[in-house]
Amino acid sequence: MKITTWRAAALALLTAVLVAGVALSTASATVRKARAQTLVIWADNDRKAAVTQLAQQWGAARGVAVSVVVQDFGQIRDKLGTVAAADAPDVTLAAHDWTGQLAANGLVEPLFLKPAVAAQFPKYTRDAFSYGTAVKRLYGVPVAIENIGLVVNTKLAKVPTTWAQLEREALAFKKAHHTAFGIAVQQGTNGDAYHMYPFFSGLGGFVFGVNKAGNLDPSDIGVANAKFLKNAGLIDKWNKEGLINSKLDASTALNAFLKQQTPFWLTGPWNSDTLKKSGLSYRIVQLPKIVYPSVPFLGVQGLVVTKYASAHGVESLAQDFVTNFMASPTAQAALAAANGRFPANTVAGKSVKDATLAQFGKAGVGGVPMPNIPQMSSVWTDLGQAWVRSTKGAGAMPAKRSFTGAARSIAAKIG
Amino acid sequence: MSTATARVPAPAGSRRAAAIPVVLAFFSGPVGLVTKIGLLSLSNGLAVWAAYVLVDHRNWVALAVLAAATGLIDYVYLARRRTPAAKFLVPATVFLIGFQVVPIIYTVEVAFTNYSTGHIASKADAIRQIERVTLEPPANGKSYTAAPARDAGGNLVLVLRDDQTGKDYVGTDERLTALAPGTVTTGALGIASAKGYRLLKGNELFSLDKTLNSFVVPTAGGAGIRMQGLSQAVELRPTLRYDSRRDAFVRTRDGTVFHDNGEGSFVSATGEELEPGWKTFVGTKNFGSIIHNSAIRKPFLQIFWWTFVFAVSVVFLSFAVGLFLAIVLNKKGMRFRRLYRSAILIPWAVPGFLSLLVWQGLLNDDFGVVNRVFLNHVGLNVPWLFDGDWAKVSVILVSFWLTVPYFFLVSLGALQSIPDELVEAARVDGGGPIQIFRRVTLPLLLVAVSPLLIASFAFNFNNFNNIYLLTSGCPCDSAGGIAGSTDILISYTYKLAIATGKGQDFALASAVSIIVFLIVASISAVSFSRTKALENLA
Amino acid sequence: MSTAEVSAERAVSVPARPRRRRKLFENWWRHLVGIVALVVSLFPVWFVVSAAFDHSDSVSGTSFWPNIPTLANFTNILHNSVPDKTFQGHVDSAFGRWYLNSVVIALLTAFFTVILGSLAAYAFSRFRFRGRRTGMLFLLLIQMFPQLLLVVAIYLIVLNVGGVFPVIGLNTYTGLIVVYMGGALGVNAWLLKGFFDTIPKELDESARVDGATPGQIFWGVVLPLALPVLAVVGLISFVSTLNEFAIASAILQTKSHYTLPVGMRGFIDQQYGQRWGPFTAGALMAAVPATLLFLSLQKWLVSGLTQGSVKG
Repeated sequence: MKITTWRAAALALLTAVLVAGVALSTASATVRKARAQTLVIWADNDRKAAVTQLAQQWGAARGVAVSVVVQDFGQIRDKLGTVAAADAPDVTLAAHDWTGQLAANGLVEPLFLKPAVAAQFPKYTRDAFSYGTAVKRLYGVPVAIENIGLVVNTKLAKVPTTWAQLEREALAFKKAHHTAFGIAVQQGTNGDAYHMYPFFSGLGGFVFGVNKAGNLDPSDIGVANAKFLKNAGLIDKWNKEGLINSKLDASTALNAFLKQQTPFWLTGPWNSDTLKKSGLSYRIVQLPKIVYPSVPFLGVQGLVVTKYASAHGVESLAQDFVTNFMASPTAQAALAAANGRFPANTVAGKSVKDATLAQFGKAGVGGVPMPNIPQMSSVWTDLGQAWVRSTKGAGAMPAKRSFTGAARSIAAKIG
Repeated sequence: MSTATARVPAPAGSRRAAAIPVVLAFFSGPVGLVTKIGLLSLSNGLAVWAAYVLVDHRNWVALAVLAAATGLIDYVYLARRRTPAAKFLVPATVFLIGFQVVPIIYTVEVAFTNYSTGHIASKADAIRQIERVTLEPPANGKSYTAAPARDAGGNLVLVLRDDQTGKDYVGTDERLTALAPGTVTTGALGIASAKGYRLLKGNELFSLDKTLNSFVVPTAGGAGIRMQGLSQAVELRPTLRYDSRRDAFVRTRDGTVFHDNGEGSFVSATGEELEPGWKTFVGTKNFGSIIHNSAIRKPFLQIFWWTFVFAVSVVFLSFAVGLFLAIVLNKKGMRFRRLYRSAILIPWAVPGFLSLLVWQGLLNDDFGVVNRVFLNHVGLNVPWLFDGDWAKVSVILVSFWLTVPYFFLVSLGALQSIPDELVEAARVDGGGPIQIFRRVTLPLLLVAVSPLLIASFAFNFNNFNNIYLLTSGCPCDSAGGIAGSTDILISYTYKLAIATGKGQDFALASAVSIIVFLIVASISAVSFSRTKALENLA
Repeated sequence: MSTAEVSAERAVSVPARPRRRRKLFENWWRHLVGIVALVVSLFPVWFVVSAAFDHSDSVSGTSFWPNIPTLANFTNILHNSVPDKTFQGHVDSAFGRWYLNSVVIALLTAFFTVILGSLAAYAFSRFRFRGRRTGMLFLLLIQMFPQLLLVVAIYLIVLNVGGVFPVIGLNTYTGLIVVYMGGALGVNAWLLKGFFDTIPKELDESARVDGATPGQIFWGVVLPLALPVLAVVGLISFVSTLNEFAIASAILQTKSHYTLPVGMRGFIDQQYGQRWGPFTAGALMAAVPATLLFLSLQKWLVSGLTQGSVKG
């Protein structure tokens, strides 16, 4: 008896809730957030303020609302592939080496720069954002470039103009101070092909060759090309002298330079502030030519228009914002300065006042943009580890074997 | 045995604990029944709401699943059953199925597709995108300053000024017509006005976005002028044409045909591939490539063995030391006991990857504190991270450091479950501390803790973080191989599938993970059945 | 029975002279072990502390003291004014809010995990039903699937379910907690079951004879006796949830909803130029609730609650 009463009560309650539920659902019809004419832009922490200000400026002139959403820069590339269409951005900041993967996934739209405007950007910056197997198109407007440079503590050593001078000074300092390395360049257990690239290019190495059409050719791997292998013996020499030590990681290199254990440090503009606050007097130059010019890898950051813009009905607006407004020198200078990088626009570049930044910019002249094709992801680890193996002091592998092995591994991965 | 202890026994011991049973007892009467009915009604109400939305979206499969699940839940809680086990199991099981089982099923499904860089969209999307990205400016292609406008008849046109020649034109979707000079005036934002045409501005312009982007003014040679943004237009020519009858793309220049290769791409006879591709079902291709690709297969056994050794060592060491510490620091009345215990637990409260980063610095061969400050004075310099064998030791030691707090805590809790009188009885019988431990304490402990040991083994078998963040799986001294000295199966999978080839190959990663899962699960199932004997002891 | 117990206790607790000396000697080596464990555990943590007081944004295991000592990292984090790398603007941060989010979500998750887990563990311990052994084995095996890959699948599920029930969709706390509930029936169920097994079934029997339903037995009889292990499971769940990153970063989308690990990741998301100063400062502050919780739970772990009631 007791149980039946309870059961009945339960059913009654249930029915009540059912009815309520249906009522609720009919009342609240699916409320889709009206996108109207809002341009959604993804920016990272450092540049949110600058992007917001510029976007609102543009939006006010055009009569369009803008919304800037902050995302972790390192996650933007992957999030673009998985984000729901309703939350997706129309425009986003991007690094140029994402171009290949984004374009191959069909996530970004090709853009067009007027010839007059395009001329303000060095060709390599536009190439950095260009991709295409069938037809090469431009997918992003460059905004800022970054590269590493050789930071010299001018009180401890003279700024070297030749490689021989650099080697001499570094080794002399090392001997006098009993340190375990001559030049502070970070590698560590993970390796760092990016920071080692000036040495690599200085010895004649390159990553991917360029085919007749002017596109990067993933089948032409230059990690163990003949010119480089001829000079690879120098790496063994440096290892024996202790000029380069792959056990240095980023923090140790930074500490060593700050504590004046070495006059030479290879690093990038992300450490400008640390340098300024350190109280040391320094100058930044490009690594002196070894056998060939020791040019660094260039990272170009810019803005891209995503495929979601057309779904949201704001494609023309997005293109106008990116190719028209953000390509102008004033906008470029403002955005590049927001995270301490050199602007890609040459006209904007002339107006950079910060000495450290300008020096980094000069140190990148002739630099090679990191390959933006998806195959590049196979290269980083192998190239970095090739350096680690050859410069780890006692028990290091001869450079020729190390780099030939790396080339083989890369070729196997690319398939 | 006295039945006086039957009614809700107040636990002898701490007075504080008395409050909680009262609270719990309160809930087990009529209040509990009302709560149960309330929750059940809520779940049914939600189900109806969900059903409504699913019908709206015409998602019949999900609707059927929902109805079955709701029916099952109602049956479990309302019907008269002999064993009430289901009532206890249902809540947690629902969540388990939703957020553990279903993701696994999804991942298994992905392993049979080609989900990777270049193959993430649908086929329709891919076709549309290919058509868009393969437009190219013809050799003498022109660019224009442009503005959309409406002509006298209200039709959409583009008012154009050639950037090079300065000549003005108007373009309809049928032809390009020259305009008399002076018709068009320009301003700061491009074209300011055009006689005889009404320029579109503001919302009227923005709302035409989709139309504008498909508006083409045809010019010679199959090319067309298209808007690019709000104030410029470019002459572009399609280089590929989609033939829906043949389901293939044809290149206009040389007639090359790109047909659907059944694996998510359009390819030509010479192997040239169009991008983007699309996601599609490829059957057992991923599994086949694992088995047949010697670069992948060769190191597999060696990596598997090392993964096994790593997991077993970490679990064994951490449990042994954790238990030891728990016993040693369990003495009643010992001073500073809380301090020691808290200190042991603090590593657990610091984010794991931060600790790994610190250890990476501490163990650095030449610069780390461990070598420089401690071992060098004794004349030793251990190559912790840059020598293949020592790196393995380092990885085990650091993982051990990270895992001890967990086993310490678990041992502390498990030690409480061992009845004092058993230990007392053994001592009275004349057993020494070691014997008591081996014969009485340890077996009882293992009953409670052995599943945890197995689970910890599985966790460390798949412990990507500890390996990758400390050594990246390296020292990678085998020039030409993909695997490094400390690579375990999961980090090897990552290198194979995520950081490789043409970008990220999520499908391959899923396939390898399934194989790894099957291996680990078999090992665990076997060990589980061997501890079955222990299970019934208590 | 009680008199025998009492006299046994008294025999142990009366400090006779020779016993005190032996006890001191015994405890001496325990203290040594404790000190060694303390040093080894806290040694690397020192470097985290040193980095938190360092302006140069580096974490190194190469020097004991900060390069450029400063308190700025802590004050910046608490005032949400963490400067970005160029010191012209601020990093978007909401430390206080993230902290609150993390603690609340972790507490709720721990609470529900303990409840759901103990319900299931009770069933496995007390009832013999078909598929019991298979069920337990299944629970164990499910944990072995590499979590790395499940995150994407979980994201898609929450995305789709969120279309039907926005209240547990993406970027909601409830959605995140619901996902964490999926893991409630993991190893915890095993630990709880093992403990429940040691609570004699006679207690259940006598309660049933008195007319209690299984539910009443569970809530009123068994659960109060299991408080030590509930504390352990709760603590484990709390700390793992507090530090959980992968799923939280997939589900939470906007800054004000981030948990602490996700939010602080923003300080170190660039490949070069990571702000380890604020990050380590935040991590240290985040370690406080876990430590406090453990300190307060120590009583549960050592009070020996089961001892008195188990004896018949």
